[in-house]
Amino acid sequence: MNNIFTVKDLDLYYGDNHALHSIDMAIEENRVTAFIGPSGCGKSTLLRCFNRMNDLIDGCRIEGNIEFRGKDIIKDKVDTVELRTQVGMVFQRPNPFPMSIYDNVAYGLRCQGVKDKKVLDKVVEESLTKAALWNEVKDRLKSNALRLSGGQQQRLCIARAIALQPDVILMDEPTSALDPIATSKIEELMESLKKDFTIVIVTHSMQQAARISDFTAFFLLGDLIEMNSTKEIFHLPKDKRTEDYITGRFG
Amino acid sequence: MSVRGYVNKNSLKRRKVVDTFAKTVFRLCGFISAIMIVVIFVFIVQRGIQVFFPGYQFGNIDFLSFISGFTWRQDQMIYGVFFIFINTLITAFGAALIAFPLSILSALFIAKIVPKRFKIIFTTVIELLAAIPSVVYGVFAAGVIVKWIDSFASALGYTTRGGNSLLAVIILLAIMIYPTITTMAITAIEAVPKETEEGSLALGASKTQTYFKVILGSARSGIVAGLVLGLGRAFGEATAVSMVAGNALVGPTLNPFDITRTLTTTMLSGLKETSGLDYDVRFSVGIVLMITIVITNFIIHRIKDKLGGEKA
Repeated sequence: MNNIFTVKDLDLYYGDNHALHSIDMAIEENRVTAFIGPSGCGKSTLLRCFNRMNDLIDGCRIEGNIEFRGKDIIKDKVDTVELRTQVGMVFQRPNPFPMSIYDNVAYGLRCQGVKDKKVLDKVVEESLTKAALWNEVKDRLKSNALRLSGGQQQRLCIARAIALQPDVILMDEPTSALDPIATSKIEELMESLKKDFTIVIVTHSMQQAARISDFTAFFLLGDLIEMNSTKEIFHLPKDKRTEDYITGRFG
Repeated sequence: MSVRGYVNKNSLKRRKVVDTFAKTVFRLCGFISAIMIVVIFVFIVQRGIQVFFPGYQFGNIDFLSFISGFTWRQDQMIYGVFFIFINTLITAFGAALIAFPLSILSALFIAKIVPKRFKIIFTTVIELLAAIPSVVYGVFAAGVIVKWIDSFASALGYTTRGGNSLLAVIILLAIMIYPTITTMAITAIEAVPKETEEGSLALGASKTQTYFKVILGSARSGIVAGLVLGLGRAFGEATAVSMVAGNALVGPTLNPFDITRTLTTTMLSGLKETSGLDYDVRFSVGIVLMITIVITNFIIHRIKDKLGGEKA
């Protein structure tokens, strides 16, 4: 199996706060990798390194490197705009833009200069289909995306990310704002998406990690404690702290 | 330990009394403001329409020639408001046309681009600009802008009446409404959720694309509210405009170097030296002004809804 991301000796600081401590890990292609750990353990912070979203935070400093298909993406020269078309992201709270469903999905491509209506129509349909939303919205593509339910909005956000045909989709607690039914829909969706995409998901729910992921990484206070196949992590954790966490003794 | 024993029985009663009292006061306040609006409106309409009815003591104005007239000469008792209405639209929208884009760009700059430590300086300046009394702007326009326009016009081979002109009014109003729209736009842009902005950047949009395609769209309601307030100020400004408009007797004019006359300057000029019909007709002009503003606001909101698809 290929590693799509290789993280080497990564340190991250928010001002004086040392948020990630020399992280080393590899993310396998076309697999679902889950990051788990208690709040403030650095899992979201690490996720946001993969598409350089931490650049937006004042005083954030990163040392070490992350290779994306063998190319270092941490050094300054990297074109973050291009990187983000290859590494998409879905956020904790559904954040559709206040425009039509169609325009939401076409947004990324239009920003890349795609104007051909036929291409856009096709991509919008494909993306919404892949995101398991097409049948629900095909008759109202022109209506405002903010009218959709929370779960539909989140699937729209996934469709929006898919539309750019990225290699990776990062998901930052994508179901924590959703009800159980919407959550299970998103989880089913992830199962089908992993054929085409590498998925890295941050989750607070250990059941979710156990259900959907192939690999799980457990973080605690900025350290990567343990990373292994999900089976191993949940059945034979090597570290005492991992065991304590997954058995619910803290966190 | 139980806190029940410490609960003051009287406190419950007292709070009920305070609640009732507060409710009454709120209702009264609401009632008073509603009454005020109605009283003002009724008063203005009543005084404004009486000049069109027979039996009015100072003679009559024909309603049709008032509403469609292209001349305003109180010395000859000719009162035609149509060209003044057009002039008012031209000055207000002309000012908005200049101020609106500048305001939007300034607001984006201040809300999104300026480093945090300089931001306070910019916002303070804009808020100060909004707080300057209109008569001060008027003096500035009459003393400075008018001279610029005069020399600009003569450089182009035109003459002006000492710089008093349509252009002077538009520039003056643009300066006056710029801080109003900008302040509102800053507030609206800052209220756009961070997630929305991040969502756009995460899709590989550049910062500029994010600003113009997503942030301005999300801030649309607040920005339009700013535009409405700004236009309201432009329509309603009398003092400063009177100092540079030149009070043309005929019109409308589209020549930027020609003098003009707006609804407000018509209401204001010579108000204290007149009586009778010439006094009361200013209320009629006031009605035209109020209707203009209401219709304009309505249209702007309709346009906003059209632009953003349907409402969320």
